[in-house]
Amino acid sequence: MAEAASNQGETLDHVAKVIRSKNAGPFEITFDIMFDDADAYARVKRSGVIDAMRIASLYRIPPTDVLVCKPFDAALAFKITIRRPVSSGDWLDTDVYGCQQHVPLTGLVVPVA
Amino acid sequence: MQQIVGVAPSGSLGSGYNIAAFKRAMSLGPDFVGQDAGSTDMGPYYHGSGQPFLPRTTYKHDLSIMLRAARAAQVPLIVGSALTSGCNTTLENAVGIIREIAAEEGLSFRMAVIQAEIDKATLKQRMTLAPLESIGPTEALTPETVDRCGPIVAQMGVEPFIKALEAGAEVIIAGRACDDAVFAALPVMRGYDQGLALHCGKILECAGLSAIPYDLGEPMVGILRRDHFVVEPGNADHRCTTVSVAGHSLYERGDFEFQPGPGGLNDLSGTSFEQLDARSVRVRGSRFIPDVTYKVKLEAAEQLGFRSIVIVGIRDPIMIRELDGLLAETEARAEERFGMAAAGMRLRFRTYGRDAVMGRLEPGGAPPREIGLMIEALAPTQEMATAVAMYSRGHLQHAHYAGILTTAGNMAYPFSPFGIPVGPAYRFAVYHLLALRDPCEIFPITLEEVRN
Repeated sequence: MAEAASNQGETLDHVAKVIRSKNAGPFEITFDIMFDDADAYARVKRSGVIDAMRIASLYRIPPTDVLVCKPFDAALAFKITIRRPVSSGDWLDTDVYGCQQHVPLTGLVVPVA
Repeated sequence: MQQIVGVAPSGSLGSGYNIAAFKRAMSLGPDFVGQDAGSTDMGPYYHGSGQPFLPRTTYKHDLSIMLRAARAAQVPLIVGSALTSGCNTTLENAVGIIREIAAEEGLSFRMAVIQAEIDKATLKQRMTLAPLESIGPTEALTPETVDRCGPIVAQMGVEPFIKALEAGAEVIIAGRACDDAVFAALPVMRGYDQGLALHCGKILECAGLSAIPYDLGEPMVGILRRDHFVVEPGNADHRCTTVSVAGHSLYERGDFEFQPGPGGLNDLSGTSFEQLDARSVRVRGSRFIPDVTYKVKLEAAEQLGFRSIVIVGIRDPIMIRELDGLLAETEARAEERFGMAAAGMRLRFRTYGRDAVMGRLEPGGAPPREIGLMIEALAPTQEMATAVAMYSRGHLQHAHYAGILTTAGNMAYPFSPFGIPVGPAYRFAVYHLLALRDPCEIFPITLEEVRN
């Protein structure tokens, strides 16, 4: 887990309740960032830190491979879906379920207020 | 109040579930018991080989409890994607288990078996009329690819289930099916809103994964009414919250607003989640939008060859420091010895403890104390795959590197034998849409009177 980042803000793993990744079918990985606190969710949403370009650079994929990146107010959640660089279980895959690919998101820095 | 109550015993058939909580759920007077029994989630092997994920005894254990309970309550038991890939072979396995349980328990019922495997010749014929729309693979789907694939299955929607229920089926065992359709069929047949029924089915298909504490082995109850549904866990000590239920609505779906399925998509953009009491959540506003053309998803995996592995531990810090150079040298030696690329063989190393999980996304850091090294070979035969893996092991075991202290051997083996033949290796090659004229057209239903 990333350390809280000084006085510029906090890392996402300190603000979100759930940060997870999972296959959405064998050719996509989807990420859910979920909050148990409406204020924390609103702060992250306002900050704009979760955006498609940043996700593309974090996962070193072309921006066009970020298929979905948007907030879902009813669930206090962000939904991000990317095209898998390698399909689930194919020769070069490292994670058949795709459930350990969330780590780069944990270090995103959320500005204070 | 008009309602339909569905009970989902388990989020993963064969993995076991909380029997006390299931009994409590059954005491609520359900109209049906639904069980999802398959997925692509465990990777291409199960689709490619047509083998179930778990041993037969585990499925029999889980099915026996739910079949007896459903028959005692005189309500349908509906099982989808039996077992794992839902191809004809595993479907027949599941049907055999059901017959066996019925004979042992003296149960009689009308059973519907719904196939979901599409004949390769039929598929190739259809491909000549119009290319299939890919929703995954980037390579073109050719007749040769189809031939290299294991069984090809299609995900059925609610319609074949409804047809079976209308024929009086008391037990339905279906091949590959869209998870939520298993739970939405009976409500849709009775005229309930399809968007709500599918969304409720989506919550039920993973059972207790939508509750707190989250657990696939905890039963879930869904109560569908005209303009909303309510979900609650079977376990009286567990609870659903708006966050847990809304959260599960996102689970394994690429998008929450538009969740495509057989024949249309479910639109959750107007969905609301409301805490009804300490344990249950009410959901409103999910809308099903039918497609102009009814399409189903096809799935299949093609064989790449055979895989063999060797797993070792490396503890020496100097070897760990020199490892990348050693692995590159081993690859070069294997190429020299076997003519790897030309012979259609591949070799790779997974360095657990360092970067085996995240690969190139791993930011790095201090050198690990030890590395779990998996030597993995792929070849046209099992024999060749093991030969490559064992050759690479042999080279690494006594390879010389700068600063070496340990000239008696480089790697620790967890057990003997060293070389493990893993069997055929696959990749998903068919993940395409097929347009149907009739939602039931490729899902034949067989009715059987089981009498004991």
